[in-house]
Amino acid sequence: MLLEAQAVSKAFDGFLAVRGVNFEVAAGEIVGIIGPNGAGKSTLFNCLAGEASPTAGRVRFDGADVTTATPEAHARMGMARTFQIPATFTDVTILDNVMVGAFLRHPHAAEARAAATRVLDFAGLAGVAHLRAATLGTPGRKRLEIARALATEPRLLLLDEALAGLTPAEIQRAIELVREIHRRGVTLVIVEHVMEVILALAQRIIVLNHGEVIASGAPDAVVDLPEVVEAYLGRSLTPRGPAGAGAC
Amino acid sequence: MTRPAGAGPASRDALAHAVGLRRSGWRWTILAAAALAAPLLLQGAFYHRVLALVVLAAISASAWNILGGYAGQISFGHAMFFGAGAYMPAFVYTHWHAAPALGLPLGVALSLAIAAVVGVPTFRLQGHYFSMATIAVAELIRILVSNWPLLGAAVGLQGPATARTVWDLTFRGSVTYYYLFLAVLAVLLGVTAWMERSRMGYYLRAIRAGERAARSLGVPARRYKLHALMLSAAFTAVAGSLYVVMIGFIDPDSGLGILISVEMVIVTALGGAGTLFGPLLGAAILIPLQQTANALFGGGGTGFTYIFYGGVIVLLCRFEPGGLLAIWHDRVAPAFRRRSASAVRHAA
Repeated sequence: MLLEAQAVSKAFDGFLAVRGVNFEVAAGEIVGIIGPNGAGKSTLFNCLAGEASPTAGRVRFDGADVTTATPEAHARMGMARTFQIPATFTDVTILDNVMVGAFLRHPHAAEARAAATRVLDFAGLAGVAHLRAATLGTPGRKRLEIARALATEPRLLLLDEALAGLTPAEIQRAIELVREIHRRGVTLVIVEHVMEVILALAQRIIVLNHGEVIASGAPDAVVDLPEVVEAYLGRSLTPRGPAGAGAC
Repeated sequence: MTRPAGAGPASRDALAHAVGLRRSGWRWTILAAAALAAPLLLQGAFYHRVLALVVLAAISASAWNILGGYAGQISFGHAMFFGAGAYMPAFVYTHWHAAPALGLPLGVALSLAIAAVVGVPTFRLQGHYFSMATIAVAELIRILVSNWPLLGAAVGLQGPATARTVWDLTFRGSVTYYYLFLAVLAVLLGVTAWMERSRMGYYLRAIRAGERAARSLGVPARRYKLHALMLSAAFTAVAGSLYVVMIGFIDPDSGLGILISVEMVIVTALGGAGTLFGPLLGAAILIPLQQTANALFGGGGTGFTYIFYGGVIVLLCRFEPGGLLAIWHDRVAPAFRRRSASAVRHAA
């Protein structure tokens, strides 16, 4: 197993945001984590990425215990993440943003620049590489967020609502990008609100509610389970039309 | 993730990089020529002294800039490193009759030790803890030294009046100091320029822009902040040593006063923090003003300096935190930026 969460719990001042979550991600999978607002998705995500350490339980990455490892240690071991609100370095260029990621595997500036340029090319940002990142709008920043994480050459990429706030057309392009990343051998864990994205990408989903896993399995089977529908206030999760107006 | 580089973007990138380097190379050549010729063009003891002090302020501000500008870790207590560098040459002369030049490496070593004491505990935390700790430790050291007879207490220490050997670094007139300082500044700018383009520069700017995001990309933020602090502290100590060999005297106010720390912040911020040229521009503007005020109003000049620094802080905060260089770029670049913005719209 590439990633294992073993009875992970996280409490804030006595409030249990995540309660004894168990799940595994095999190399080459795309796993979606869904759940209503406040279900503990982001907290769980931060525990996996080393941003917060769990109050109880263990997180293993490629067999190694990373429960209390720092975020930079996670990156070094091959686990990259994006931020829900893009944490773009706005006062430097888009290329410089990606170079920060590329320096992890390429200590020399020329090599890091070449690696970053390849990633920008791949992410469709090559044309704007020399502009200040502040000039990018939300879709561009979300894309840059992914590019920067990819530049660290991860084996596992954690996407935290990387596609939220995009228009349907932009979502389609972003889904293509994620598929292409997966095709290149990167395992993905996707926290997402947009059901269309999860159904299009995930091979397996985990549903969280009140910090607990209430269901997991193949997307089509899981979204119609009564307890999952119940958690989403009784609404069906299956997109109704081709435009895919998700339940969120 | 490894796809052969598309020849187009990669070579375009390399070309833009080379053109940028050559253009900035020319600018620096002209600046260096002007700096070398300055004492010949501006004759007279007062001008020579002001020139030397401008370069000295440029050294200490450039040193502060490594940590405060590039890494975004604002220190209001760099006087402690300046003081460590300033006291050691006077100390080895007073107590051992040794050459003040010997005090320089001792001052650097002492400032590195202080940097570790301040940086190791505070850099675990993000935010303002480091800034607050710098003020506290610097004031603590100033009060300690003011009451420590070994370091001359409130009276201070003196250097040699006349040179015994060249290692006393005691010269008549300010021109020799000016060129000595210029050489040190050149080394510092060389180190900073190298750092700017290497992994360290990218990592420091990333830490400044967002430590959380930087760490998620594999930047060991704590270690890099500490490295920046040590590099910054070492060169600030060198500035202190250079100050004491030129002035020949050091006391708690001139070596460890809060105004010393504030001056580094203001000089850098006025010119443009996080740029190579910013501290030089700030020093070239502020130091002549400060020296003229001192010449005109005597001791009251210090009061004028305080008021002037306060005004500069207010104006920078209100109008342009990026300093004069940012104003320059924002006036010149708008046409370019309009073109860029339309390119982004096409791409995104």
